[in-house]
Amino acid sequence: MLMANEQGMGRHSSLRNSTSVPKDGMELTKDQIDRQIACHECDALLDLKPLTKGQRAVCPRCGGLIQVARDDHLTRALAFAISGLLLLPIANAYPFLGFERGGLENMFRLPQAAQILFQNDAQFLGIIILVLIVVLPAVLLALVLGLVIPLIRGRNAPWLIPAGRLLYGMNTWNMVEVFVLGVIVSLVKIMKLATVVIGISFWAYIGFALCLIGAISHLDRLSVWQAIDRVSSR
Amino acid sequence: MSFPAGTAAARDLASCHTCWKLVAVGSPRCPRCNARVHLRAHDCVTRTVALLITATILYIPANLLPIMTTETLGVSQDSTIMGGVVLFWKMGSYPIAGIIFFASVMIPVGKMLALFALSWSVWRKRATQRHQRTVLYRITEFVGKWSMIDVFVVAVMVALIRLGGVLTIQPGIAALAFAGVVAFTMVAAQGFDSRLIWDAGAGEDE
Repeated sequence: MLMANEQGMGRHSSLRNSTSVPKDGMELTKDQIDRQIACHECDALLDLKPLTKGQRAVCPRCGGLIQVARDDHLTRALAFAISGLLLLPIANAYPFLGFERGGLENMFRLPQAAQILFQNDAQFLGIIILVLIVVLPAVLLALVLGLVIPLIRGRNAPWLIPAGRLLYGMNTWNMVEVFVLGVIVSLVKIMKLATVVIGISFWAYIGFALCLIGAISHLDRLSVWQAIDRVSSR
Repeated sequence: MSFPAGTAAARDLASCHTCWKLVAVGSPRCPRCNARVHLRAHDCVTRTVALLITATILYIPANLLPIMTTETLGVSQDSTIMGGVVLFWKMGSYPIAGIIFFASVMIPVGKMLALFALSWSVWRKRATQRHQRTVLYRITEFVGKWSMIDVFVVAVMVALIRLGGVLTIQPGIAALAFAGVVAFTMVAAQGFDSRLIWDAGAGEDE
């Protein structure tokens, strides 16, 4: 067992030599602590070394991802977020799905879906759609923009820290991609019963979902907090 | 409680859950992000197991009761989660049957079993197969939200059919129970502290 553990360490540190295990036995100064990090998955104490673009820091003990250094991660996140911002009003204000009968289209918009569910004894489904599909993704997008814009400009902003906490705290509940797959499944289900019209908002929502996921995936947690540190200490 | 050498805890340092900054043990809040700091979520195993038991209990009505009721010309028909899978399979929509079976049966059951096993191993302070258990935890955390798919399917179906007016679809109580299963297992997975896997057996093998 001991052997397995040591082999594991050797394998990882030789592959990606960007973190190392500090020596035991000496007191750590505050400066040293600031240059160290504990793996959030196994608590191994590691020295942080600056990464060059494209490198990943991986915990030598458990293989957990510590940091990814992406090329221009903030600018790319901003590009995704702005595209998402353009798609968001289309996704919410235009028809999502509906039927066509006798040349007349009977469509609903996404916020309306929540309303229909609410008025038809399906309140909890209405709440799920409203909160998880309409409100939360928009809030996440706002948080991304609120974080990325000041960080790119190198300015401090009073909301940076709460925005960072909220973004990483709420992102687990981000279910846009699950919803998109769910809509596709229901379309297959319902196509057998009736002809469904797919509205412009359906495509806009898929685009918005991809942009939101793209933006958040570029915001490496440790890099963002280091960037917040840099602008707030100025 | 002693911690394995080479960990932050062994040097009296706690890692902030939110921004991963190292903080001396005893400080209540992180100096960087002001989140609450604790060395380990100590009662996390009890809490995870409690949430898992709740999810397991909810999983029974989620499968036995109808997830939706279809009504055409006065004839109503209940369908359960497995009933939907069987229906799609018979209709020849194998990919859809597969997706629903995977998302509504495989993921939640597998996730609950995995978290029970992880909690048991941490509670028994097992010091073997740490890498495998960490990978199992990562998978559990990653796949969790995908089981929401069936709930979204019901929501979209109900909203669409209400609009059409030819037939009505009523969401069943199982949809609520199932949403509960997903939410409780997600909270259970988030609350589980994977560092406890690596804490066990300090001093024995290091």
